[in-house]
Order: sequence, then structure tokens, then C-alpha cells
Amino acid sequence: MNLSGLKMIRQNQYGLDKVISLFFWLVPLIVTSLFIWILGDIIRGGIGQLNWAFLTTAPLDTGRQGGIAPILVSTLLILGVCLAVSLPIGIGTAILLAEFTPNHNWFGRLVRRSLDVLAGVPSIVFGLFGNAFFAKTLGLGFSILSGGLTLACMVLPILIRATETGLSAVPQEYRLSSASLGISRTSTLWHLLLPAATPGLLVGLVLGIGRAIAETAALIFTSGYVDRMPTSLLDSGRSLSIHIFDLSMNVTGGDANAYGSALVLILILLLINAIASYLSGKYSKTLKV
Amino acid sequence: MRQQFLTLLALSLSVGWGLSACNQNSANLESNKLTLTGSSTVAPLASEIAKKFEAEHPGVRIDVQTGGSSRGLADATQGLADIGMISRALKDSETEQFQSYAIAQDGIGIILESSNPVQSLSNQQVVDIYQGKINNWQEVGGEDAPITVVNKAEGRSTLELFLKYFQLTNSQIQADVIIGDNQQGIKTVSGNQNAIGYVSIGAAERDISAGVPLKLLSVGGVEASTETLQDGSFPLSRPLTLVTKETPSGLTKEFIEFAQSENVHDLVEAQNFVPISPQKLVQVP
Repeated sequence: MNLSGLKMIRQNQYGLDKVISLFFWLVPLIVTSLFIWILGDIIRGGIGQLNWAFLTTAPLDTGRQGGIAPILVSTLLILGVCLAVSLPIGIGTAILLAEFTPNHNWFGRLVRRSLDVLAGVPSIVFGLFGNAFFAKTLGLGFSILSGGLTLACMVLPILIRATETGLSAVPQEYRLSSASLGISRTSTLWHLLLPAATPGLLVGLVLGIGRAIAETAALIFTSGYVDRMPTSLLDSGRSLSIHIFDLSMNVTGGDANAYGSALVLILILLLINAIASYLSGKYSKTLKV
Repeated sequence: MRQQFLTLLALSLSVGWGLSACNQNSANLESNKLTLTGSSTVAPLASEIAKKFEAEHPGVRIDVQTGGSSRGLADATQGLADIGMISRALKDSETEQFQSYAIAQDGIGIILESSNPVQSLSNQQVVDIYQGKINNWQEVGGEDAPITVVNKAEGRSTLELFLKYFQLTNSQIQADVIIGDNQQGIKTVSGNQNAIGYVSIGAAERDISAGVPLKLLSVGGVEASTETLQDGSFPLSRPLTLVTKETPSGLTKEFIEFAQSENVHDLVEAQNFVPISPQKLVQVP
């Protein structure tokens, strides 16, 4: 091959490089601007509604007037039930999968496969399951408890897989050194592996909360539609997501408050994200022994 | 790190404990509680009526759930709900199984800007306009101007009612403007002499009497008004209905009677529905 031919190929490749790098700049730009557009739209539509009274008063006139206090409380209670149930079960299952079942163990593979299938199940299916099992079979009725438990089922696969990945990422040397120092397996798990896996757990938690708090379909059939201030976990309580859905779909003239509620929902999500990334950063630092 | 984990654990446990404590508080309320499930169109109205009923009957709790008309019927059959809500009349095959009590009438009218010379449209003309086969007002006796077709966004109950009556599917409609609620439809049409749209009759009438330049066309030869809606002669309408499996008694009876009474007419109108006329009312025996 002569020199000029080589040069031409090189120039062509430079050209291609430019096109590809342009492409890789454009894609994130499009994604980011889409996000900013949605966020901007919600802020523009919702900021006028957002004030202290909106957060502390009950909805009036099917939500067109008044605030979202009972709905906010119900949402947080549903989320609380969901986390109280899914965190212990999720972490426990992740420990079992990562620490006590070898990679090729049939049981571990079965559990992982089922979790992956569960993670992809549409939320309406969880809703119908929750309605049939928690609301009817267990007799919890339309209640915050039914809703929270249904969401826990939805969130578990995400939580378990993320925590498991976090645990698996801890170098094998940690376990070996710990064992060689005569530290028990439980102590190793508690003092070494779990803290090391916390960033993974937090990622799973944020994803899970995100899925839970945005959920509408599964909650309509479980936690229900009642917008009264809940007095117990057996009361039906409307979540923010259902409130937004109802205001924008069923209630004419509800759009302004739908935007306000959407803004509150997004602020809660951003807050949870910020807390999680703060904690995650803290744990990553403490671990550098 | 250990401390943080203990905090986390303590948090989970305390939530769990609070949860079981709550369980014990809410017993013994069952006899004063009614559950309604069903149509998402009826649910907002029913929950407003329920709030007013609760205010007048201290200690009574009425939970309104949604999920669709068919769910209302299913839950009423299985006894999961005391009252089902459907956004239509009972079908003949269902009348043996259920008792039904209409609480309001939902109707939509076709609206034009008031200076549009067109006075009436046949059903076929409406269908052709919405399908884009007629796209100039001249073809239906108006001025030489293009027609602006205003359609409702997906998921609106008025859209469903409109499509069902004119036997259209949403994909057949060639819309120029897609709108959300009634108010937006009224604004769009009253601000555009060449527009055609459809909105809730209650909302349109209220705005016309407030001076908004708008007119309602008759549908199928029947004038669109609160009166024709109330007496059931206007075709583009449906009753919002409460259904029960058994003949209502006790609290169920009281609530249905309340939902049909004049006490709630303001709530019915606030939701852009029309109260049923007293002559047409089917009352609880």
C-alpha cells in the first residue's frame, strides 16, 4: 500500500470519528433536554400552586381547590409500609444469594431467575395480585397496608438484585482476610460486607422508591381512591400519583392542581435521590480503611 | 457504620410496630361504613357526595374507590362493595341481577362559535366532518372557510361517549386541535369562528348564559339542553348510576336517597353533570 492511500484511509477515519463523536454528544443532549423540558413544564405549571397551604390542607371540590395534605400523608405511609417490609426481606435475600449460595447452585439460579422475571412484570399485574391476595384473601381491604405490601412485592426484585450486586462487588480478599483473622462469618457480614455493599443497596433503594412512588396502576386496586386523612394503616388512602392521574383525567379544571401535585412528587423524588447520594458518598469514604 | 445500620433496623422495626398498633385502633367501625367502587367518571362526584353525607352524619364513613364500571358491577355482585358505580344504564341482561338508581345525567353537545351561520348538522355530516371528508363549511351550508376540528384527548369520558354515539374510532378522527377539559374546548371554539367541538352540555349552557359566544347544535333532531338531558330524550347522553345487588336498606338506602336528593344538585352541577328530573327519578322503594 502506498503512502497516499494510507493517508486517505486516515482522513476518512478522522471524518468518521467526528461524525461518531458528534453523535455521542447529540444523544445525551437530546436526553437531557427532554428531561429539562418535562421538569420545566412541571415547574412552570406547578410553582404557582405550591405553597404552605397547598401542603397542609385537604382537597376540596374533587381536588380542584384546596391542598393535598391527606394525600401526602397517605403517600408517605404507603412508602413507609413498603420499605419496612421490603428492606429486611430484600437485604436478607441478597445476603443469601451473594454469600451463602454458590454461583452455580440450582436454588440460587432459580431465585435469581424468578426475581428477574418479577422485575419485568407490569405493575397492573401486581395491582391485581395485591387486590386478590392482600385486599381480599387476607381481608385487608382497600388500605394503605394493602398498597404498601403490593408495592413491596414490586420493589423487592430491584432491591435484592442491586444489593446482591453490591455484595458481589466486595473483593474476595476481604472475606479471606477476615476469616484468616478468625473473625466469624456473621461479624464479617455485619462489619465488613454490608457496609461495603451499602452504596449498591442505596442505588436499589432509590430505584425502588422511584418505582413505588410513581406507581398508579397497582395502587388504584389496593390502597384506593379515598382522599380523607388516614387514621390507621387499614384506611384507604389516595397516593400522589393517583391524585395526579385523577385530576388530569377525570376532573375537568383539575389541571392546575395536578401540576402542583406533580411538582411535589418530583421534589420528593429529588430529595430522596439527594439523601441517597449523600449517604452513598459517606459510606464509600468510610470504607477506604 | 454499625450505628447507621442499627438506626436503619430500628426504623424498620418501629414502622412495623406502629403498623401493628394501628391495626387495633380501627376495629368496630364496619357497621357505619359504606364502600362504593366503579366508574372513574362517577367516582369524583360520588366522593363529593360522600363528603357532604359524612358531614351530615357524624361517625359514618364512606369510602369511594374507582377502577371502572365493570369493576363496580363485579364488586357489587361479590359483596366487596355496598354500592357499585357505572357510567351507563344497566343492560337488559343485567337488570335481573341489580337494582339501579341514576343520580345524574352526563351529556355532551356539539358547539360552534355563535356567529357561525350553520344552524344544524345531521349525524352523517358530523361524522364526515370529524373524519375529514367534509373540510369546508360551504359543504354544510356555511361560509367558504376551512373547518377546524376540535377533538378530546384520549382517556376523556366525553370522547368515549362521542365515539360510541357516532360509531367512530379515535384513529379515524382527523383533528386539528386536541383539547383536555371542557373549559379548554369552550375557549378554543368560542375563539375561532370556524371551529367545531363537543363539550359537556352543563358547562356549555353555563358559559352561554354568561355571554360566551357559543351555540349548541341539536343532535339527532333533539335540542341540546339541560331539559332534554334531564328527561332522557337527548341521545348523546348517559346516566351516572349507582347499583346494588339487593334492594337497598339501612345506610345504603339512606346514602342513595341522599345522592338523588336536591341537597346534592350543586355538587352534580359542579362536576358538569345534570341532575335527574324528579319525574324520571327511580327511587329506592
